[in-house]
Amino acid sequence: MGNYRSTRPDTPQGAAATPVIRIRDLRMKYADRYVLNGVDLEVSRGQIIGYIGPNGAGKSTTVKIMLGLVEGYTGQVEILGTDIASGDISYKSKIGYVPEIAEIYDTLTAREYLTFVGELYGLDREAADIKAARLAELFGLRDAYNSRISSFSKGMKQKVMIISSVLHNPDILFLDEPLSGLDANSVIVLKEMMSLFAGQGKTIFYSSHIMDVVEKISSRIILLGEGRILADGTFDELKERSEEGSLEQIFNQLTGFNEHRQIAEAFVAAVQEA
Amino acid sequence: MRESRILRGLDLFRGAFEKAGVDYPIMRSILQVKLTMDGRRVPTIIAGSAKRQASESNQPEGNAFLRSLWVYGLMGLILVMFMMMPSNYIFQMSLVFGILMFLVMTSMISDFSSVLLDIRDKTILYTKPVNRKTLSMAKLIHILIYMFFVTGALAGPSLLVGLVKYGVGFFLIYLADIILMDILIVVLTAALYLVVLKFFDGERLKDVINYVQIGLSIGITVGYQLISRLFNYVNFEAQFHPKWWQFIVFPVWFAGPFELLLRGDSRSYFVVFTLLALLVPILLLFVYIKMMPAFERNLQKLSDQSVRSRKAGGKVTDMLAKWFSRTREEQIFFRFAVKMMSTERDFKLRVYPTLGFSIIFPFIFFFTFTPEGGTQAIPSSKMYLFIYFCALLIPTVVMTLRYSGKYKGAWIYKTAPISNTAPIFKGTLKAFLARLVLPMFLVDSIIFIAVFGVRILPDLVDVLLMLPLYTLISFMIFRKALPFSEAFETTQQKEAMLTIPLMGLLGVFAGAHYYSTTIPYGVYIYMALLVVLNVVGWRWVFQKSLK
Repeated sequence: MGNYRSTRPDTPQGAAATPVIRIRDLRMKYADRYVLNGVDLEVSRGQIIGYIGPNGAGKSTTVKIMLGLVEGYTGQVEILGTDIASGDISYKSKIGYVPEIAEIYDTLTAREYLTFVGELYGLDREAADIKAARLAELFGLRDAYNSRISSFSKGMKQKVMIISSVLHNPDILFLDEPLSGLDANSVIVLKEMMSLFAGQGKTIFYSSHIMDVVEKISSRIILLGEGRILADGTFDELKERSEEGSLEQIFNQLTGFNEHRQIAEAFVAAVQEA
Repeated sequence: MRESRILRGLDLFRGAFEKAGVDYPIMRSILQVKLTMDGRRVPTIIAGSAKRQASESNQPEGNAFLRSLWVYGLMGLILVMFMMMPSNYIFQMSLVFGILMFLVMTSMISDFSSVLLDIRDKTILYTKPVNRKTLSMAKLIHILIYMFFVTGALAGPSLLVGLVKYGVGFFLIYLADIILMDILIVVLTAALYLVVLKFFDGERLKDVINYVQIGLSIGITVGYQLISRLFNYVNFEAQFHPKWWQFIVFPVWFAGPFELLLRGDSRSYFVVFTLLALLVPILLLFVYIKMMPAFERNLQKLSDQSVRSRKAGGKVTDMLAKWFSRTREEQIFFRFAVKMMSTERDFKLRVYPTLGFSIIFPFIFFFTFTPEGGTQAIPSSKMYLFIYFCALLIPTVVMTLRYSGKYKGAWIYKTAPISNTAPIFKGTLKAFLARLVLPMFLVDSIIFIAVFGVRILPDLVDVLLMLPLYTLISFMIFRKALPFSEAFETTQQKEAMLTIPLMGLLGVFAGAHYYSTTIPYGVYIYMALLVVLNVVGWRWVFQKSLK
């Protein structure tokens, strides 16, 4: 397996380019609970951000706010220099999104769906079709291209989602658990693709629960907990801070979780009880 | 994807849409996708391999929705009857619009709520660089296209007959009225959802929509009765005397223009009706377009996951399971089915309105068949036999028991060590009787006892005994499939036709009951017969046909 750190481009820290994403004091309240409690964040071109945190930490909410799916937040969110609250939605044509749950019009064929999404992104119908077909072929979906998505396996659906997120050659990619359902080989391909994209200057905002993957491919890791950023930096920086070996351990430590052994033992014991 | 003729028709208005700030090509693509999806009611689970799918999608696609329109056309024939009546526009057309609104609105709510409330739209469409106006307009047009077909099929026959019998003027007024009515229905439906969405959230919201749908179905039926009462009390030659409440019954509004324009009857209330019919829908449409973003925002609540732990409860279910089922396995499935029936969203959406109708069905016929002695003669009559109508929809629901929105969970039947499927079916059918049929029957019984007195108690016992037998027979007639194991999309028209002979069978039961009341102790003999048939039947069916 390739060494991802070597193929990863250096973060253009020196280049004082305008940040691709700029979030200031982002707060979001659902009913009576704050899901986001003041998030500040700046992301530059070419970064692969591993956005991690326990369930309910506010990861999906942050992403959904940036995509304009969730309204009613306070604070400021700028994407590619546009304040997303300004009503100017043209920034969305520079974004690709793979949602966590494969929400998809699955009575359509892969061709119909992908062409449609291409059109929504402003592509010409034929151009979208040709491009989608090529990407599908590269992803091993050639035979299934004209089949209805409802007949697809989870991994095939995920591939359709991934293709639909890059058809329009976006500058920013939001990937929410993009590896789910993919087989081992496709995972390698996708990881390789992500570092190549980043090399071209695309920004990848990536959230996952699988720490090994995040540890290997992210150029920057942001750990979210209870609606706040608990840690932010490269993997090495995080390691220094917490004196732990793996991201998983750092994660446990920073989120204050150290009962895994006890829980596991209690669980196994309960299974054996009559 | 086929280019739809509908869209080509829509192209004529391209300019108007673009003037309104709509990105027309995008809206067109969205509509095309939506219409394609409507047309494909794929039986997902039997769809099989990707290969078969591929060949299937190369075939010319018939639109399943369009193919179902003839049913509406058939219903539309009822309206033709009213056209044939001696012309007294205000009564005639109030009735016609009463029926039309009822049919269109129920079809809108039962079939089209899923479109209005599709939350996939959010993730798929709202993340794209498409402006909100285009998205809202696409949704509105989508609904209107649907309405166009449904009302077209419903009102088509009567429109034609109206044209022939009353001339062009009548035809044009009728047509304009129908369009206004459609707008009114769309807005009212959306407003209804908006109000519900506003005050509730998450799961509760879906419950509430469920109950509103049921309530509305019943409410409209009762409203329809009001109109036909109005029809009964006053004969056709008589003068129409407006009552205050008629100003809030929409169908009466739409009858106004006929009197005003065709008969030249410019009495103030006809003018008011006409103005209401014209202005209210248009005004509401503007409000609706304004409110659309608020609607979308509230729609978000549908996808919110709120973890709400419910009280454990289930004691009543446990008790019922023990009463109704002897074996352990049967009790397990009894409890499982009760839980599914009371919580599974799609199932409730399909079945509960049906049950609502079942409750009121017996009463509808009181209005229709008032005995010779007038309403006073009802309590001493044999009209209590109308309670049989509460069982009319049992076959439909028994057939529905195999469907579920979460049908994929059915793998559990296969992996669990269950040797015999009989307890699964038996437990589920019993749960259906205990959870859905019995409460419904009790409600009706109480009202019937109030009207007819305790003298009908033995007769009610007969009906009560008929219910499980009827359920069992319905179960035997239909194809056996494990409960909650198939997608609703796989519903087959052909099988639904089997409910018709079953409804006939209900008539046989009622007839036998009627006959038993004419001989001494007949009711008790009938009772004994039913007990025997139940015991033998339930044993026989589950021993014989299932292994």
